[in-house]
Amino acid sequence: MGKEMIAMLLAGGQGSRLYALTQKLAKPAVPFGGKYRIIDFPLSNCVNSGIDTVGILTQYQPLILNEYIGNGQPWDLDRLYGGVHVLPPYQQASGSDWYKGTANAIYQNISFIDRYDPEYVIILSGDQICKQDYSDFLRFHKEKDAEFSVAVMEVPWEEASRFGLMVADDNDRITEFQEKPKEPKSNLASMGIYIFNWDILRKYLMEDEEDTTSENDFGNNIIPNLLKDGRRMYAYHFNGYWKDVGTISSLWEANMEVLDPEHSGINLFDEAWKIYSRNSGMTGHKINAGAQVENSMITDGCNVSGNVKHSILFAGVKVEEGAEVEDAVVMGNSIIKAGAKVKHCIIAENVIIGQNATVGQMPEGDETGVATVGPGVYVGDNATIGPNAMVSDNVKDGDKQ
Amino acid sequence: MINSNNTNALGIIFPNTYDELVSELTGERLMASIPFAGRYRIIDFVLSSMVNCGIDNITVLVRENYFSLLDHLGSGREWDLTRKNGGLNIFPPFAQKNMGVYNGKVGMLASILGFLKSQKEKYVIMSDANIAFNFDFKALLDAHIASEADITVAYTKEELPESIMNSDDLNKGMYYTLDLEEDRIKKIHINSQESGVQNFSMNIYVFGREYLIKMINDAYMGGSVYFERDILIPHLDDIKVNGYEYKEYTARIGSLKGYFDENMRLLDNKNLEALFGKNPIYTKIRDDNPTRYLNGSCAKNVMVADGCVIEGEIENCILFRGVKIGKGAKVKNSILMQDTVIEEGAVAEYIITDKKAKITKDKELRGTDTFPVFVAKKQMV
Repeated sequence: MGKEMIAMLLAGGQGSRLYALTQKLAKPAVPFGGKYRIIDFPLSNCVNSGIDTVGILTQYQPLILNEYIGNGQPWDLDRLYGGVHVLPPYQQASGSDWYKGTANAIYQNISFIDRYDPEYVIILSGDQICKQDYSDFLRFHKEKDAEFSVAVMEVPWEEASRFGLMVADDNDRITEFQEKPKEPKSNLASMGIYIFNWDILRKYLMEDEEDTTSENDFGNNIIPNLLKDGRRMYAYHFNGYWKDVGTISSLWEANMEVLDPEHSGINLFDEAWKIYSRNSGMTGHKINAGAQVENSMITDGCNVSGNVKHSILFAGVKVEEGAEVEDAVVMGNSIIKAGAKVKHCIIAENVIIGQNATVGQMPEGDETGVATVGPGVYVGDNATIGPNAMVSDNVKDGDKQ
Repeated sequence: MINSNNTNALGIIFPNTYDELVSELTGERLMASIPFAGRYRIIDFVLSSMVNCGIDNITVLVRENYFSLLDHLGSGREWDLTRKNGGLNIFPPFAQKNMGVYNGKVGMLASILGFLKSQKEKYVIMSDANIAFNFDFKALLDAHIASEADITVAYTKEELPESIMNSDDLNKGMYYTLDLEEDRIKKIHINSQESGVQNFSMNIYVFGREYLIKMINDAYMGGSVYFERDILIPHLDDIKVNGYEYKEYTARIGSLKGYFDENMRLLDNKNLEALFGKNPIYTKIRDDNPTRYLNGSCAKNVMVADGCVIEGEIENCILFRGVKIGKGAKVKNSILMQDTVIEEGAVAEYIITDKKAKITKDKELRGTDTFPVFVAKKQMV
């Protein structure tokens, strides 16, 4: 029996604007929100929406991502027919190729999709934080009798020219697509989430592959081709929380927004829409007698003796006596030693911040940069890391960066 | 066959032993599924210990009140026990014709003799589920093999807890202390009243599988009921029963007060490290979000699991998953199990709340360090 809809998740992006964080890690595997990785959001959305078949297209630094996904059990995606599959580029009789563009990545896996004989395919992106019910999106797609639908967000007009924009009529039918235009005709930004009728997508992927001048990209090639042919294309308005976490500052900001669900709209405390993740298996966290914890999120395995304010601590983080952590995102198993000051920054996994070292500073005047310390880095005692620094190598005792 | 991380033993666990010692907590569950240390159930410790040393064929012999345990264990996936060969086997009581539900361990083991005969492992490790530990069963098995004993019993050296010694109730579980000569056990006392440090049996036994089958077969035919009373004690002269002293951290649950104290003992980081530091202890995953501390909250010397929302003050507490502490609420020296709600302004000291209990707005509830107040499952104060 064919599936009604399966999901293809684009997870091959290098995430080069996250620098130190993605040197050895695919962007969708970047930790987020205390115990999650970015990819937990689209995967959980799939399961919560009733999609039980997901292909994950990987290419860049896939090791940790592959291990993290495993057999998909944490997301209930270990299924006899369907489930989650990691799809790296592979060698075929006619030769092998890296995924040239987003459309080419799907093209190379047409036979995977055909195995499930779906009516619809939803294309998802692995670098967004968003809680979305894809079944409502599909309902819209069917109601409009569409061949292609795209999820769009209304953005402020003054920012519109940073996005790919959909111009739509009163009936939500798309009449024009503008990629980062100087003079926007619409403020409906594409979220990069599409539903296609599989027969249509299949046809356009084949044609796109024939076209040697194509960049094999959804935004630049497939969507304009659909428009040119007058296909039934609709824009689905989404107004929940959505954030592209492609930069250090947006990643930091999105983490901080998790601390304020009442205003930001990103609520992880939602019994009806749980975000699943692979668990650390550590014991409950420990707040010791001298510690102070304020407006923060803390998870299993943490041990806090210092002061933690408006911060997110991932599993197994230790904050020693007299250390100060403020406006910071501290990822798994990192240690903040006694007297260290860690402020307005992102500390990646397995980092050690030495005694009395300083990382980042609270914003003053125009200086609002988020300092970043890459995974596994040792920052020596009394070292100083400035507010805009990006550290991916060890820092010696007393050094300044 | 390569035997690199596979210990040549199968495990048998008795989850109902000592249910009656903590009747408050075992009303709707059994000893093995008593919540412990913030996010675990007591059985997680023996299961994880076995799995961590390569035992991947584990049988749980449930007797009664076992719904909560079945729910907790599921297919055994969290302990990596969803295996084609071996894995987790749960045997509920199986009343045959002309036979009631068994009482002691002999009857329970007799009911699975066919299963035991068909297994391949050379040894059997048998344990109750009333002690939290991070036990290296491989070391125990190695000691057993090296000593050439017929049976090896693990014990701790400690004073017997008053709560079980002072019990006049003969229906309460039997406990055993051992007299040793070198390593060999010369005498086993039932319900000893002696004070001072004793060799306190952990009721963890190792023997050959074939040996166990023969022993149970003979004993069952002879009408024996209790493994210790009817098999071990009368035969200490003709079979070689050795003791194995376990010196690592243990937390034995023998009474509600003991339960309270053993939880609280884990607030000391040294003890926490001793119990959890060596090997991971696995448990059922609930996919809670991280715990959130809001402005105005205050936490001192607490162990907190995921999924909690803290707006009030907590001190010297253990919070299980999903506990909510309202604004202005103050909770001290307490254990709050899963999904307990302490509403705004409520004050509590020395209390133990079972799952989904609720202390309503501005209520005050106080126990003492020797007598913690217990709030039963889903009850509202």
